[in-house]
Amino acid sequence: MTYQEKLLPEIEIKGEEVAQRKAFLQFGDADIAALESVNEVAQHYADSVIDDFYRHVMAFPDTKAFFSDPDVLAHVRRMQKAYFMRLTQGNYDQEYVANRVKIGVIHERIGLPVKSYFGMYCFYLRTVLQRLRQEYKDMPEQALTVFNSLIKLTFFDMGLAIDTYIESRERTIQGQQEAIRELSTPVLLLRPGLLLLPIIGLIDTQRARQLTEQLLRSVRTNRAKVVVIDVTGVPSVDTKVANHLVQAVEAARLMGATSIVTGIAPDIAQTMVKLGIDLMRITTVGDLQSGIEEAERLLGYTVVRNAKASGPCDKELP
Amino acid sequence: MSQNRAPILKLGGTLIASVQEALMDADLLGLRDGLVADVKRYRATGVIIDVTILDVLDSFAARTIRNIAQMTRLIGARTVIVGIQPDVAFSMVQLGLTLEGIDTALDLEDGLALLDLELGNTRRD
Repeated sequence: MTYQEKLLPEIEIKGEEVAQRKAFLQFGDADIAALESVNEVAQHYADSVIDDFYRHVMAFPDTKAFFSDPDVLAHVRRMQKAYFMRLTQGNYDQEYVANRVKIGVIHERIGLPVKSYFGMYCFYLRTVLQRLRQEYKDMPEQALTVFNSLIKLTFFDMGLAIDTYIESRERTIQGQQEAIRELSTPVLLLRPGLLLLPIIGLIDTQRARQLTEQLLRSVRTNRAKVVVIDVTGVPSVDTKVANHLVQAVEAARLMGATSIVTGIAPDIAQTMVKLGIDLMRITTVGDLQSGIEEAERLLGYTVVRNAKASGPCDKELP
Repeated sequence: MSQNRAPILKLGGTLIASVQEALMDADLLGLRDGLVADVKRYRATGVIIDVTILDVLDSFAARTIRNIAQMTRLIGARTVIVGIQPDVAFSMVQLGLTLEGIDTALDLEDGLALLDLELGNTRRD
């Protein structure tokens, strides 16, 4: 497996999908024939087009930054020529697609912005049109036919390249979401038999599932009797979120643990009632402190403050 | 048949039905009839159904368990379900089988403690 192949483990465009894309672009045998017919001509003007291309690219600081190293520039010029010639070599098959995807991945890796990518394609098309008009001075119709096919193939390439950009971003987002999920669902043992589950952030179906599973496992391993679920960090509660909460509470009850939900903010309480969400079957108390006190009461704990050890307290304790 | 798959043990005033393997619908009905008869016969005050080994509890099982709890209460015994596993609990709530109004406990030990507590309280009342 080459280095580039390792970069794209998941980006795979199936044969059926390729056929669909070509059909939508109305890219057919006539286009392949037209493109193949200019292969020889293209060899004549390839170098000059690429010279123009890099002159253009190097004229803008945004794109110049990517090719400041002369070795890199020499390398990408070679690659560029191969890319350019490949456009008129026919056989636009799976291997062609894989090659185009690979090119997209490389550009995404180096952080070339999409706008530059599009600008480059635009420049290519304009420059090639110019060359074609020179080459086919006596046959302007033929030049247009070839150019027409070239537009289709270029847009096909652009579609593939942009897909790799999107795919890569999506993978990043997915990875981050997983990281956040793992970070944000701790189940803490407060006292023997008492678990605290602080929920921070939005609850979606997948997270609710993970949260509940983790809670249930903790109930079993810690032999918990009471669970305090604190939702102070949950920014909004809709019917779905409330259902997830009820399910977690009911599942814990099936395993013999009572749940207390704490920290429902006043505005969330208002929304919940307006939405007709009924949490009557769940014990709810105002804040985490009251929740823990209620849990301790259920478990038979009494917390006594030792004035000798910690000095006087300006707040009167009940 | 249910006698083999879910033998009923007597421990003082408590009957313990310990499910030994996956129960068919007929086994569940057998268990129900056996428990109701035994509560009457031994004048039991508590019933524990231990489902630790079950990896699935469907709607029929949930309904039968609910029926057992209601029937035994009518003839003077409290029923506690013990040993529902995390995965089972999760799929039950997703199916809406929440066994509402029925006592549950983590395992046999907690179930016995719960019965002691509740029956003790009842006697004091």
